[in-house]
Amino acid sequence: MINKKAERLFGAAIVLYLLIIIFPFIWVFLTSLKPESEIWGAGAFKILADQPTFEHYEALFRGNILNALKNSLIISTITTTYVTMVAAIAAYAIARLKFVGKRLILAIVLATSMFPQITVVGPIYQLFVKLNWTNSYFISLPYSMIALPVAIYILVIHFNKVPKEMEESAKIDGASKMKTFTDIILPLALPGIFTAAIITFISVWNEFLLALTLNPDSSYHTATVAITFLRGQFQIFWGQVTAATVVVTIPTLIIVILFQRQIISGLTSGAVKE
Amino acid sequence: MRKMNAWLDHHLGYVLVIPALIFIILFSLWPVAQSTRFSFFDFQLNDQQKSGLYFTEQYNLKLMHETFDYIDYYLEIEKDTVKQSSTQERIQDTQQEILEIYESIQAMFPGQTGIVSINDQEHEFLVKASDQVLAGLEALYRIEDDFNLQEDIMMVASELETSIIQPNYVGLKNFQSVLRDPRVWQTIRVTLFFTSISVGMELVFGLILALIMNKAMIGRGLIRTFSLIPWAIPTSVAALMWAYLYNGSSGIVALILARVGIVEQATDLMLTSSSALWSIIFADVWKTTPYFALLLLAGLQVIPDSLYESAMLDGANKWKQFLHITLPLLKPSILVALLFRTLDAFRIFDLIWVLTGGGPGGTTESISIYGYKVMFAQTRFGYGAAIILVMALCVGVISYLYIKFLDIQLISD
Amino acid sequence: MKRILSICLIMVLILSLIALAGCTPKAPAGEPAPAANEPVAKTKVKFAVQADSTKALESIVKAFNEKSELYEVEAIILTNDSGNMHDQIVNSLSSKSGEYDVISMDVVWAGEFAAAGYLEPLDTFIKDAGWKPTDFNAGSVSSGKYKGKHYALPYFSDLGFLYYRKDIVSEEDAKKLASGEYTYDDLFAMAEKYSGQGGTKYGYVYQSSQYEGLTCNVNEFTANWTDLENGLKMMKKFTDSKATPDNILVYTEGETHNAFLNGESVFARNWPYMNGMAASGDYTVKVDQIGYAALPNGGTVGGWILGVNVNAQNMEGAKEFLAFIAGPEGQTINATVGSYLPGFNALMNEPKVLQANALLTDEAFQKALQSTIARPVVANYSEVSDVIQLRAHEYLSGNGKLEDAVKNIGEKLQ
Repeated sequence: MINKKAERLFGAAIVLYLLIIIFPFIWVFLTSLKPESEIWGAGAFKILADQPTFEHYEALFRGNILNALKNSLIISTITTTYVTMVAAIAAYAIARLKFVGKRLILAIVLATSMFPQITVVGPIYQLFVKLNWTNSYFISLPYSMIALPVAIYILVIHFNKVPKEMEESAKIDGASKMKTFTDIILPLALPGIFTAAIITFISVWNEFLLALTLNPDSSYHTATVAITFLRGQFQIFWGQVTAATVVVTIPTLIIVILFQRQIISGLTSGAVKE
Repeated sequence: MRKMNAWLDHHLGYVLVIPALIFIILFSLWPVAQSTRFSFFDFQLNDQQKSGLYFTEQYNLKLMHETFDYIDYYLEIEKDTVKQSSTQERIQDTQQEILEIYESIQAMFPGQTGIVSINDQEHEFLVKASDQVLAGLEALYRIEDDFNLQEDIMMVASELETSIIQPNYVGLKNFQSVLRDPRVWQTIRVTLFFTSISVGMELVFGLILALIMNKAMIGRGLIRTFSLIPWAIPTSVAALMWAYLYNGSSGIVALILARVGIVEQATDLMLTSSSALWSIIFADVWKTTPYFALLLLAGLQVIPDSLYESAMLDGANKWKQFLHITLPLLKPSILVALLFRTLDAFRIFDLIWVLTGGGPGGTTESISIYGYKVMFAQTRFGYGAAIILVMALCVGVISYLYIKFLDIQLISD
Repeated sequence: MKRILSICLIMVLILSLIALAGCTPKAPAGEPAPAANEPVAKTKVKFAVQADSTKALESIVKAFNEKSELYEVEAIILTNDSGNMHDQIVNSLSSKSGEYDVISMDVVWAGEFAAAGYLEPLDTFIKDAGWKPTDFNAGSVSSGKYKGKHYALPYFSDLGFLYYRKDIVSEEDAKKLASGEYTYDDLFAMAEKYSGQGGTKYGYVYQSSQYEGLTCNVNEFTANWTDLENGLKMMKKFTDSKATPDNILVYTEGETHNAFLNGESVFARNWPYMNGMAASGDYTVKVDQIGYAALPNGGTVGGWILGVNVNAQNMEGAKEFLAFIAGPEGQTINATVGSYLPGFNALMNEPKVLQANALLTDEAFQKALQSTIARPVVANYSEVSDVIQLRAHEYLSGNGKLEDAVKNIGEKLQ
């Protein structure tokens, strides 16, 4: 049915699409290997550097970027850990247990996922100042605002998919609800929990506004904030900026390649009815 | 023990949702309530008189202490420079007089520091004390002698009045100002324009892409991985990347656009308001279209092939199949994706902050950016909160419209 | 059950790892441990300061650290964009944080910071150091004085003035410039006339990006806000002219000195620091090719002043460092190594300083020194400046009308 011409058109469209996606990364990577003198002027539009150099990477690593990556890693890990745990038990209750006010709670969860982050930044900043929590890893706590609703949402859908039969047979055996949850449901829902964890990790890793506001001290900058501070308005060192872009993108790239399936399943839960 | 187990079993639902609720209350609901509270005050951190929420009058003890110290210190210096010994005595007397006033004020607030609440009676006393100090100093300076610090001392002494803090509760005044602030309307226009254009483009391109990906036979895994990359990298990183590609002197995209004739010169790209806004839109479309496509692709994949086969038997062409099978079955996926994307786009911050900072001339300033600047550059948290609440109201209306009229069901029971 | 247990175990492990990582000292990773032969660990003094393109800051910090037995200064280099730097410092100070002990401030911030109660009053400090406020540059000191108290001492004073290429501009024109008796129309004519000569690409470069520098330039063009309409019109004329770069609207000091010192422009408006860069000999244009002149309507007073955080973690150390950097020792280094204008008056006659800073002996520059103009002195300065930048840039970039810009800026200045 599909003729050769259409097939070729398809192929061309896909190649074009992949090119558009990947081109900025490649160009930025190539720039990061050019010495500063080649980044400005005529050298700027050459594909390969005449004299490739790692000087920008060296300058970058002498600076703050490794520390910022460490901060990002710590903050993202803490947040992912507690958010996943809290979300898992809450999602189980919402998906499987009967109690009054369940729908209201779910509505609140969904509504908070729609709040613009900027609505909470001011008061949280004030609170952090009062508690002396600015410039610390306590920033993980307000990250629940962006991560928790999404994680609960993903997990409710996953718990809904777990077949009810096993639960019922456990009930007949006289197991408590808690035991049913820990022994039967949780192991079956592990892939879903893992998916929620990955999505949480990425969204926290990428967060900018809270990180910018709550941790203004450069030794507590996260990677997303640190990278924008490489650029003063007096002079823009594109060499270092592009090198930093490459460095910060690599962890994300690894996660995407390793967990592609889980990420997609997390993103599309809710968008697809099965 | 058994009793407790039974209780736990019975109330397990509540026990399990409580941790999540605590987080949501603390870090989502409480801050919104707090923002609402701020918005009723003229709350401004870089103004000593407005740096708290005051329904009643307050007194700044720290400033008061500092002021009395300073008056004494300056008078001491004056004593060294004046010529007549009689003036020196007068200064001594004035110092003594002021010291007594200082002691009487201190006696009112034993053991207290910082900013304290005062009642009408105390207020009256403090105003009188402040006037007495000023009068005493003025009387002193009526003497003819070589004074050097009169202006400074009077200014320092005026801080005694500044120490009395008026209540800064303003009711709905902040909201009135927001509605009259042309910059608010300008930023709302920019935000709405950005949201509608970028989400619209993402929908169209995303749908086309999803259809193509669905048909692709080879390299599906590769395409999916590639599609995830723009979504997964931090927005601030993507914005910096585009800032480089767009910059007027060494940005390749700016150069290409200039060569093609879309902008007159490469340097114009980020300098004219419309092309800067379109540059932001394009960067956003680049970052989120693949994600949009993945959402729709997932929806496409669950449409059973049998539907298309029977349609084909009925003689429906591809376009008709798309209109009558694909679109209706894909509708829920499209709507959910649209809702989330619209809300995301409406609160855009990172991309604009890094790419243009709101420039040129504020023409790419989104409402989030303006609210942020008011709060964190001007430290006007009260007015900033009012701006943000107006924005939150817009978000609420958008979600309501989607859910009501487009009949989105976020979770099936 | 086993699986769950193991998951819990892993999570506990991760958490404890994180807790451990969290306990490591606040300093960024990779900091060398103090050497064993150092007898006493010195207390840190943190100095928040903009990056210095000369070696002066480095030399001052080094000199202090060698001299002081108790304290060690660490310069925390903040972003060079003064708007961002302001926000960053305001955020830190309004959170009552003691992360910075000594703060370098743009002259226009002191009023706001003092009014907000962020800064330590310095009068007793000045007296105890054996100085009087009049020992320091009057303009800088008065911009750090709020309601009768001194909150800041000069770091370096600054003013905007005109640089031109002596080797390109005719003697007659040079005389006219040096006399200070010329208008922006004259400057425009000269910029167009000389543009392209002597290997240059542009006639005139100045700062017109949407940032604080634009406020300074608008101040000069509008003759200290007395003639907004004609001043802005004149700026637009320059913007649209071929004698200025196409991207003049993104020009900050960095672009300006790059263009002028690399021989791309005949005229430039900049601060004194550019002369120091020229004197270093690292650039195409050498210092003997450069002439100076006052700007037609006078140059904006700028510069940086030093204050002490009221919540400083190390108040004693902060004051000791302040005395060093604002006093003759630090100011001599700043003037000789960085060619900054000294904020400590007595140094103006110091041969060593005069020798290092040819500017101070130049007659035309002295004229410029005498014809300075100030930016608005108001408590909500950042708000006012914000509107000026926004409206001026909007008009200059062709996105707004002149009348609107004049009206909005005029209203804000009231």
